[in-house]
Amino acid sequence: MAGVSLSGVGKVYPGGTRAVTGLDLDIADGELMVLVGPSGCGKTTTLRMVAGLEEISEGEIRIDEVVVNSLDPRRRDIAMVFQNYALYPHMTVFDNLAFPLRARGVPKSEIRTRVERTAKLLALDELLKRKPRALSGGQRQRVAMGRAVVREPQVFLMDEPLSNLDATLRTQVRAEIVDLQRELGVTTIYVTHDQVEAMTMGTRIAVMRNGVLQQQGAPQTVYDEPDNLFVATFVGSPGMNLFHGRIERDGDTLQCILGEQRLPLAGTNGLVAYAGADVAVGVRPEHLGDPLAGPSDRPRLRGRVRSVELLGSERLVQIQLDVKPVAVDESVEAATASDQTLVTARFDAHADVDPGDVAEAAVRVERLHFFDLGTGRAIR
Amino acid sequence: MWLSRYTYRTLAREIAFILIAAVYCVPFYLMIALALQTAEQNLESPFAFPWPPHFDNFATAWNAGGDAALGPGLKSSIIITVATVVVLIVLGSLCAYTIARRIGRLSNLVYVAFLVGIILPFQLAIIPLYTAMSRLDLVGTYLGMIVLNIGLLMPLTVFLYVGFIRALPRDYEEAAQIDGAGVLRTYVKVIFPLLRPVTATVAVLIGISVWNEFFIPLIFLFGSDAQTLPVSVFLYARANETNTNLLYAGIAISIAPILVFFLFAQRQLIRGFTGGVKG
Repeated sequence: MAGVSLSGVGKVYPGGTRAVTGLDLDIADGELMVLVGPSGCGKTTTLRMVAGLEEISEGEIRIDEVVVNSLDPRRRDIAMVFQNYALYPHMTVFDNLAFPLRARGVPKSEIRTRVERTAKLLALDELLKRKPRALSGGQRQRVAMGRAVVREPQVFLMDEPLSNLDATLRTQVRAEIVDLQRELGVTTIYVTHDQVEAMTMGTRIAVMRNGVLQQQGAPQTVYDEPDNLFVATFVGSPGMNLFHGRIERDGDTLQCILGEQRLPLAGTNGLVAYAGADVAVGVRPEHLGDPLAGPSDRPRLRGRVRSVELLGSERLVQIQLDVKPVAVDESVEAATASDQTLVTARFDAHADVDPGDVAEAAVRVERLHFFDLGTGRAIR
Repeated sequence: MWLSRYTYRTLAREIAFILIAAVYCVPFYLMIALALQTAEQNLESPFAFPWPPHFDNFATAWNAGGDAALGPGLKSSIIITVATVVVLIVLGSLCAYTIARRIGRLSNLVYVAFLVGIILPFQLAIIPLYTAMSRLDLVGTYLGMIVLNIGLLMPLTVFLYVGFIRALPRDYEEAAQIDGAGVLRTYVKVIFPLLRPVTATVAVLIGISVWNEFFIPLIFLFGSDAQTLPVSVFLYARANETNTNLLYAGIAISIAPILVFFLFAQRQLIRGFTGGVKG
């Protein structure tokens, strides 16, 4: 087993398109690191650079302390699971699993033993004589995993391996991959655009955007303490509510002014410097909820209910507040022209709230997030 | 609810297609009918299917002797066609793989050169070609004819393979590379098997083209032991100008092998033109 280390890694395609910039990332031995981000953020390019399928323009990649920048993929001792599995369609499942072993000159008897052991591990023993086209999506996915596992490599690389599966199967296979990775203890880099996958699978996650690493850390840490506006909105579903607020001093304490409403703040040291200035205020839907459900002294925000989504276990209530929204992406730039923001609050499934009502939502002020409007960085 | 999509319009279209197909079959029918007739049947009603059919014409045509003998011609055609097709598939696919996968001006330039090779009429170069081949003692030999065919048909082969390989996902090669396979193993074990549909197309197109080629063998092989079937049929036809039935029996023998080959390979041929790889 081995750790993987990327330092100052960058990728510029011929023609000048920059895909990855100054990426520093250390993946410990046996760790499952999830690279997550929207389409085109550079996560797959990064994975392909680790695999050796893409040349590195800048920086250094080390696997088990060895610089692999110019090492051929087959000499890196890695295995990769592709998004569309890339199973060889003319070979049986057995031959697909045996291919990496044959390519490395493993003796025939050992090939049989290892393929059968892997097939058993992944419940593929009944399918060894079938060709990929005779398998279901889930089975193909397991064969692709098997082809990676059978060689016992130092590092697994997985490029959105669940994206072709339906929702139910995805949840099941997700758990299977995590179990397998833990059982084998192989260092794994997993790429996905699905933040739920990232949160549930990763030992650590690395959030990328436009080729730049935004934040890395344990999933809960990244969720609880996002470093910037992008991470705040990207991680979590539904995403964090964001709107403009003004910080004002009130004696020894600070207050956050949201249009006509004000929220008393519990000491956030970094905010003192912003007294009298506008900031981006963020609140997760679960920290904005039914006033009847929590302590009665929690500050409240009032607004008109625009819609209610019943999810069975809870209601997601969209409330319109008279505050300016915050744009994170160019695509929502238009929204900033408005003076109203729709925020999502989590209410009890049986809460008496309907569209058109004026409702109050209790705010857990100690869980509010603040970001600098100019840089987008978190204020702590 | 059951919806009928089979309308009168569909029926009319089907009948029209069947009629067009029937028109295409007329020459083939005439060849078979004439080949199976006796001279008397031919005089009586030349377009009717003979009953009982007279198979002796085939035996007589097959046993014709001298320059018009079909047997040696058939042997030469098989040797030249099979060798040309095999070498073209091996060299053409390797060449196309390199052109399709290497990004750069040089590979584009080579590809354009091959395309030009398809467009230019080779007849323009026939005299210098004959002179060169003659100096190399390649005129009237199997090797000479095979080399010439390879040169003339390589552009078409490369063109067909490049189109197919460009549509092939790179994932298979990348997976093989990561699995530890070198370039040659990747090509032999992964890529070449995936090219099966286009290989069948190449085999049929090249095979039919070489088998039926008359002009080149007439110039380069006429009168030699390596003379191919079309040249033998030409001499055979001259020798049997007066006996229509024997003439058509000889022609039927000459096209039978390629017809059987086409019938077996037609599904692959169509896949090669229309489809990619199904995973």
